[in-house]
Amino acid sequence: MLEEEGSREKGVLPEPPVEPERYEPGSEPDFERLYRNTYRRILGTLIALVRDVPTAEDCAQETFERAYRNWSTWRPDAPVEAWLHRIAINVAISDRRHQRIRQAGEVIRRLGRPAPGPDPSLVAERSDLFRAVSRLPTKQAAALVLRHYHGYTNREIAAALGVPEQTVASRLAAARKHLQVVLGR
Amino acid sequence: MSDIERELEQELHRVLDPMSARPIPPRRSIQAHRTLKTLLGGAGAALTIKVLTGVAVAAAAATVAGVATTGSLNPATWGQQVEQRVSDCKSQLAAGAHGIGDCVSTFANQHGAAVASAARHHGNGNGDGSTKGNGSSNGTGNSNGHSKDHLKGQATVPATLEPEASDPVAGHPPARITPGP
Repeated sequence: MLEEEGSREKGVLPEPPVEPERYEPGSEPDFERLYRNTYRRILGTLIALVRDVPTAEDCAQETFERAYRNWSTWRPDAPVEAWLHRIAINVAISDRRHQRIRQAGEVIRRLGRPAPGPDPSLVAERSDLFRAVSRLPTKQAAALVLRHYHGYTNREIAAALGVPEQTVASRLAAARKHLQVVLGR
Repeated sequence: MSDIERELEQELHRVLDPMSARPIPPRRSIQAHRTLKTLLGGAGAALTIKVLTGVAVAAAAATVAGVATTGSLNPATWGQQVEQRVSDCKSQLAAGAHGIGDCVSTFANQHGAAVASAARHHGNGNGDGSTKGNGSSNGTGNSNGHSKDHLKGQATVPATLEPEASDPVAGHPPARITPGP
């Protein structure tokens, strides 16, 4: 034991794997804990998908509402965060669809008038690369964010999105190709 | 890992980390949504359908009761009944006798009293017991007194819901219908 600790201090042994959090389906305190533990990661994914922070926060709340409604039916054999991400991505897809409808209405309403720009502090467009990611089809963008921001493997992404692993690989390849074209690389 | 993948990773962390590091807000309550969805969906929708069905059934029952009270909602049907009655009265007429007025008026009074009674329930009835009448029944009782109709019509008792002492409908003269050759 002591030897182990000494070895770890020297950096010989790898860090022990972090025990995944355990949650009881249907448990109110466990859902609250899940919310605290995963809110930021879900929000990060949503900001990348819907671009502006208030909308992402709203989508995050919607995600947890939907999750809460189905909390008693969640099965612990699947990673809970993958389940949440799946819900979040569906919420983002739905929001993007509504955004397009709202934008069409806004264009008609504002014909001939200059549209006010969004508050720069609330829009997550800090670079050409980020802007290009957020303009990808939602499913491609989601695969990219899960892979390159959260560090999921293709298998984990497949589980989160409920699609075959090959589909994930195709989406990632298509997304990278699209980014290269857009960024001229 | 390719250059673009490395760049992508760095960029996502650079942009998203500060934004998602904001304080975690309290979880939104879903109580209000639940109430609305309970009313609009699932068991609530089924209950709403049941209530609406009940209202529709009650309305239909009221209509049927109205029809039962007045004989018919359709004036054409009433006309056919009068025609039938006239024909019956003619056939009942003894040889050499004339006039079927009393026979027909008994029938007319029976229907008129029922219509007027139902109309009084609604407050503005205009049934007068004759097929071409124009009297208005306002519940104040303005009978002009033709008691012979009452006396002669005892064979068939008028089907009224609210028998009243002064029935304005029953006071109208009977329809005079002369028998054919």
